[in-house]
Amino acid sequence: MNLDILLVGVLAIFGIGLYGLLITRNLIKVVVALQILVKAALLALVAAGEASNQLNLSQSIAMTVIVADTVVAVIGLALAVQVKRVLGTFDTTLLSKLRG
Amino acid sequence: MTDILIILAIGLPWLGALAVWLVGNKRPEQQHLLAVIFAVAAGLAALLLIPSYSDAAELKIEVGSVFGDFTFVPDGLGVFLAAVATVVGSLAVIFSVDYMHGDAELGRYYALVLLFIGSMVGLVLTGSMLLLFIFWEMTALCSYALISFYNDDPKAVEGGIKALVITSLGGVGMMIGALIIYAYVGSYEISDFLADPEALPSGVLGVVAFGFLAAAAAKSAQVPFHTWLPGAMEAPSPISALIHAATMVNAGVYLLVRFYPAFEDVEGWTTAVILVGLLSGLLSALMALVAQDLKRALAYSTVSQLGYMVYAVGTGAIFASQFHLLSHAVFKALLFLSAGAVIHSVGTRDMRQMGGLGKQMPFMRNVFIVGALALAGLPILNGFWSKELVLEGGLEEGPVWAYAGMLIGAGITALYSFRMVWLVFFGEPRGTTHAHDAGQYMKLATGILAVGTFTTWLLAGVFGELLEDSLPYHHLEVETGTKIIEDVITAPATLVALGVVALGLLGWWFRKPLSGIAEALSPVGDAAANDFGFEAVNRQIVHWTKEAATALRATQTGYLNWNVVGIIGGLIAVLVILVLGA
Repeated sequence: MNLDILLVGVLAIFGIGLYGLLITRNLIKVVVALQILVKAALLALVAAGEASNQLNLSQSIAMTVIVADTVVAVIGLALAVQVKRVLGTFDTTLLSKLRG
Repeated sequence: MTDILIILAIGLPWLGALAVWLVGNKRPEQQHLLAVIFAVAAGLAALLLIPSYSDAAELKIEVGSVFGDFTFVPDGLGVFLAAVATVVGSLAVIFSVDYMHGDAELGRYYALVLLFIGSMVGLVLTGSMLLLFIFWEMTALCSYALISFYNDDPKAVEGGIKALVITSLGGVGMMIGALIIYAYVGSYEISDFLADPEALPSGVLGVVAFGFLAAAAAKSAQVPFHTWLPGAMEAPSPISALIHAATMVNAGVYLLVRFYPAFEDVEGWTTAVILVGLLSGLLSALMALVAQDLKRALAYSTVSQLGYMVYAVGTGAIFASQFHLLSHAVFKALLFLSAGAVIHSVGTRDMRQMGGLGKQMPFMRNVFIVGALALAGLPILNGFWSKELVLEGGLEEGPVWAYAGMLIGAGITALYSFRMVWLVFFGEPRGTTHAHDAGQYMKLATGILAVGTFTTWLLAGVFGELLEDSLPYHHLEVETGTKIIEDVITAPATLVALGVVALGLLGWWFRKPLSGIAEALSPVGDAAANDFGFEAVNRQIVHWTKEAATALRATQTGYLNWNVVGIIGGLIAVLVILVLGA
């Protein structure tokens, strides 16, 4: 496969994730944007494995990261739900104004 | 056999720390007993280690990878300092049985003391720079926790944090030095570096040498880093005796001695060492002369005596430096412990509220006088022999101005020693408090140290032989014990020094007729009472740090989107650097 196309894809997904983080104020959307960012990183990892002939290693690491990342997403979403319940908002800007 | 003794000397105190902690604060009698047993056992292990000294690594823990092997080398320098740390340490623990009686948190106290003793033994015995750094920081941490032991007292907490910050800053200097050495030599072994210091380019070696000097000065409370030691006097008195007189502050001098062969040819290094020693010796002697707080006066005198050791290293008198370290550890522990007994009894540290205590505490008066005479450098006592050796070495090898300064320092030392004895034990009672006599364990610990003050100089020959045999890179030529004693007695320098000490004594005796001179010198006294401005510099640095932190808070908005902008900006900056660099 052509490595350049892969890298362009990586950059595009990465850009989408960053853009999401940049503009969103919604905690749920922050978690989604982070997930997109990590997926870009995973794609880059597998591409690097392909380029250096260590596909097995890169794929197994990618699997590990997927598992760890799922845990992060679950905890992040659970926290977001708790924040909504206790403080009544998903808005990060409003939330940071709450600091003492 | 030797490896087992090394493990015992380090491990027994640590095991004891665990045991005391596990027993719990509800059974104080058992805690006292366990602490004393483990401390004394460690002392015995360290003493047994002395005959089996060698210059090879007797204990090797293979770690592999970049860490190399963790080695322990029981050479003359290491075994003697290990013995000093554990023996003085166990006496301080015995003293604590009376001093800390009834304290609610004995577990924390004894666990930290024992952890400290083990770390100090590890520090002097290890042959790996990596472990040296780890033990170095462990002693700093224990010191911090013990200074702040009474953690409901803001002054104690402040003193602890000050000690931690200053000694850690020094530790950074040492870590940088160790990493640079590793980069060039490819091993953390101290002996590998000492065998071939030429592996480092001379400029780099200079950086390492001065980095280590800064580390040693911070640890040994030398000018300009000495300000933490007086603050450390908030600790319980046995801690002051153990850590801030007899062991931890010696680690700095130990570091200088250990690496002396590699650094002696670095341009300006020995002069810098002499200068640090001279300034510490003189300035802090003046500060001790005007201090009103008994423990503060002793703390300044520790800085001053450590100055003598550092000065001796600068003049190349390695043996004299280590011999004075041994003497000082014994008599200063004695002074601190007997001062602790007095403070425990009258409930104040202010010498203006003491006076006339000699009749009520005759035993403590006698041992304190023994310690003070050794500090002043009067003949027969151990402080006399070692200080004469330091001064003699300084006269032969060092510059004359430094020798003259140290000689004046010796006179001031005598003056403030007699002042302390007089203010505390003689004259009219100025305080209203009634003093009760010291406890049995206090008398036992100080009694042993007083005997040591009379006798440790007899070890000069054995000690010298040990150092000569097991330090191949130092090229020491130490004479036999009787020759050393004969030299000291016959040298004209001894008479000069004794004359200066006698002048100091007479100065105190005739202080009334001489009050005119004291008046004239009062600006110097005022400056000394204000720590010659070093304390103000410290406060200014703290102030600036706080200001900078407040100013930098503006960059922390707490808004997620701005943080992402910062991350993207950083990413772009890195990419630009990579593109331009490639």
